[in-house]
Amino acid sequence: MSEEKPKSLLSDWRVRIFIIALLLSLVAIQPWYSTDEGFDTNLDYGLDLEGGSWLQVSLQGAVIQANVDSGMTASALVENIVGSPVEVVNVIPPSEGQSTTTISLKTQASVTQSQLNQLGLSDSSVSREGNLSEITLYTTEQQLIATYLSEELNAEVIPYAVPGGVEYEIRTKAEQENVENLLSDVGGFLLTDENGDKLYREGVRTETRDLTKEILSEKLNALGLKDIPVRTVGDEYILMDFAGIDLTTAKEIAQKPGKFEIRMQTEGNNTKHVLYGDDISSVGVPSRHDGQWYTPFKLTLDGANALQEAAIEAGAVNDPNSHWLYMYLDDEEVYGAPLSPSAASRIRTNPIYSWEASTGADNESKAQAEQLQIHLRAGALPVNVKLMGSGQVDASLGDQFKMQAIIAGLLSMLAVAGVVFRRYGKKQILVPMVATSVSEVLMILGFAAAVGWQLDLPSIAGIIAVIGTGIDHLVIITDEVLYEGKLPPTKVYLSRIARAFSIIFAAAATTIIAMSPLVVMGFGALKGFAITTIVGVLIGVLIARPVYGKVIKEVLQEKGEGQ
Amino acid sequence: MALFIDKLENFIKSHNERQLVTIPLAVFAIALLIMVFVYSTSGSPVNLGMEFKGGTMISFQTDDPIEKLEADYSAYSLADVRKTGQRAVLQFGPMENDEQLELEKKITSAYSFVEIRQVGAVYGKDLQVQALQAVVLSFIGMAIVVFLIFRSTIPSLAVVLSAFSDISIAAAFMNITGIELSLGTVAALLMLIGYSVDSDILLTTRVLKRRGSANEKISLAMHTGITMTTTTLAALVVMYIVSTYSYVLTSTVSQINLLSDISIVLIFGLLADLMNTWLLNTGILRWYVNKNPKGVKT
Repeated sequence: MSEEKPKSLLSDWRVRIFIIALLLSLVAIQPWYSTDEGFDTNLDYGLDLEGGSWLQVSLQGAVIQANVDSGMTASALVENIVGSPVEVVNVIPPSEGQSTTTISLKTQASVTQSQLNQLGLSDSSVSREGNLSEITLYTTEQQLIATYLSEELNAEVIPYAVPGGVEYEIRTKAEQENVENLLSDVGGFLLTDENGDKLYREGVRTETRDLTKEILSEKLNALGLKDIPVRTVGDEYILMDFAGIDLTTAKEIAQKPGKFEIRMQTEGNNTKHVLYGDDISSVGVPSRHDGQWYTPFKLTLDGANALQEAAIEAGAVNDPNSHWLYMYLDDEEVYGAPLSPSAASRIRTNPIYSWEASTGADNESKAQAEQLQIHLRAGALPVNVKLMGSGQVDASLGDQFKMQAIIAGLLSMLAVAGVVFRRYGKKQILVPMVATSVSEVLMILGFAAAVGWQLDLPSIAGIIAVIGTGIDHLVIITDEVLYEGKLPPTKVYLSRIARAFSIIFAAAATTIIAMSPLVVMGFGALKGFAITTIVGVLIGVLIARPVYGKVIKEVLQEKGEGQ
Repeated sequence: MALFIDKLENFIKSHNERQLVTIPLAVFAIALLIMVFVYSTSGSPVNLGMEFKGGTMISFQTDDPIEKLEADYSAYSLADVRKTGQRAVLQFGPMENDEQLELEKKITSAYSFVEIRQVGAVYGKDLQVQALQAVVLSFIGMAIVVFLIFRSTIPSLAVVLSAFSDISIAAAFMNITGIELSLGTVAALLMLIGYSVDSDILLTTRVLKRRGSANEKISLAMHTGITMTTTTLAALVVMYIVSTYSYVLTSTVSQINLLSDISIVLIFGLLADLMNTWLLNTGILRWYVNKNPKGVKT
């Protein structure tokens, strides 16, 4: 309606911005009608209006920093596998600038090199004299802590170097008390920060969370269904939206691991099954050494034996280059390489638990190594996840909600118009007021369409909140302008508008501040509500309501002159 | 409406400040007592809904009577069955993943227009803490902004007190009518902070920064303020009716619980706000203005 006003109004920059914003919103929303598809727009709707289901999972883990007694830890580790007491003979701490600790142990039980390899302590030697086994381990405190916690908690434990120390990420639920008990069994304890707080926190590292998200995303979207967005919520939660899929199917999809398989080339193009993804016990972070990128991974006892058997049977131990190892994910080849000469000769006598898949030297190889890490993980996520929440809305129900929300919105607007008309009894006030309110809604929707926001029920509640405060503010402007019951001269009018806006800005500021904790804390459903409210209030006070102040003056003036 | 404003105006003019604040303070005290009572029986000042306690809500369209639904699903820690029109709403306590999956399969294959919401007990606890933090932080943030705007203690305190009373009365009302705290009602309580402060800021600005006698400024502010609140109330009443009672027209239509809860809580919050703004806040403000005529334009 402002377009029809004389030049003076159109020359105002606020009015121009308002018109441009409104036009842009319409372009973004793109309302259109076709006979076969009916009325449609460019707006995205959330699952509760569109139909679909969602799953929210939490990542279970803990991140700690700790110290242990190296000798006690090593003996506890070995005791666990041999099943009888192990005595510490000698511990030589690392020399200056080195990290390797040398630990000598002895026990009456017989110990094999293979048992130590299985623990990942392959840098070691075993000798048996009389009825005593003497073991020498060359290891680091970092490796000892990680291996010890990993064995005790039956989960992966990954050390990361951080400024001033090493962080251990335990990739399963591990209560602080439990971890402290385990540490104190081997003469260790949790380190404390400068405030004296223990360095233990629930959850996982952000990198791990992102990796989990990527694996889930890869897995879900590899199924060729619709695009399934996987989002992280805070540091602990991952949210998956399955548009148009019911909850039962969604759960099946999410729980079904990808099928990972390692096969060995036998003759020509033939390959033979070696092991499946469940025999891969852990996958490390890609790293670069000797000029190559590697993805490290470990096999279970069965997996290592199966690989050894296959390598001997196929003859890869003698001629690795004509008996490659291939990896498949859901029957698609994702990696292939021969055994390295050293691995080929070692595997002849002992199964190998720790492997490294090399991808090459360049940057592309780095990307390949990272991709391989995800593929190797396909059978299982890096951390334990627990279902925290889920939901489903039928598409038909979503349609009905949408319809009802639109009807509620329109009727609310009518009710507001009725009250305004009763109060002022002038359509010169009613029309601009309702038009301003409608334009605010359009601009919020336009913004939502432009940034690709999903409108769900909470954000519709937010829009309604904005309409409510919006009309409040328009009433303030109107009453301020008509303080004595009629339009004042321009100079007074301007100061009145300024006064009205001082009230409006104050009210808007409190609303925005009141909503901001929800945005920052970011817990699921109410975030949409809070963001819509804040954006709506900003659009209202900065773009739409100032223009109402201009328009109302013009319309009332016109009427005054006409009388 | 005009009649109501006139009556209120006369009431304010003909009563002293102590009399003005008595009614709202009494209602506020009753609201607090209700919350203390509920807190002592349930451990939380408002009754927590499924989203905060953990559990599963499943709703669908059916002709089956409540008794049949109860019998069919009693094996699954069924907590409550309700029916409006053809729409049944079943509430379940927390259960194992496998059991949950089985229940969901059973219901999705048997009924149409299905809605499911499940929240794990641990996550529910998490949400409780977050919701509480959000409400407290919002309130503190609002109070700080109000103090920054008016820069004088008593008028700011009056605004904050009446906002707090609005929220308390709305929460007490939820307890009386059995509306549980859900994400929707948390949103409503937060919205209430915004709405409540709107009219208080209008009143305080007008009284502190304009010329004229206190009663005159109050009644002018009241005309504006009550229009503001009634427009909002009108919108909310319509939203409540559409989201709650549409099924009366067509029995297959479902209630939109989120919008229904938000609107009814806001309606009562705003009614409380009418009282708190025009009796409590006005009473305190008029007393302050009469005591300190210096800082105020007259």
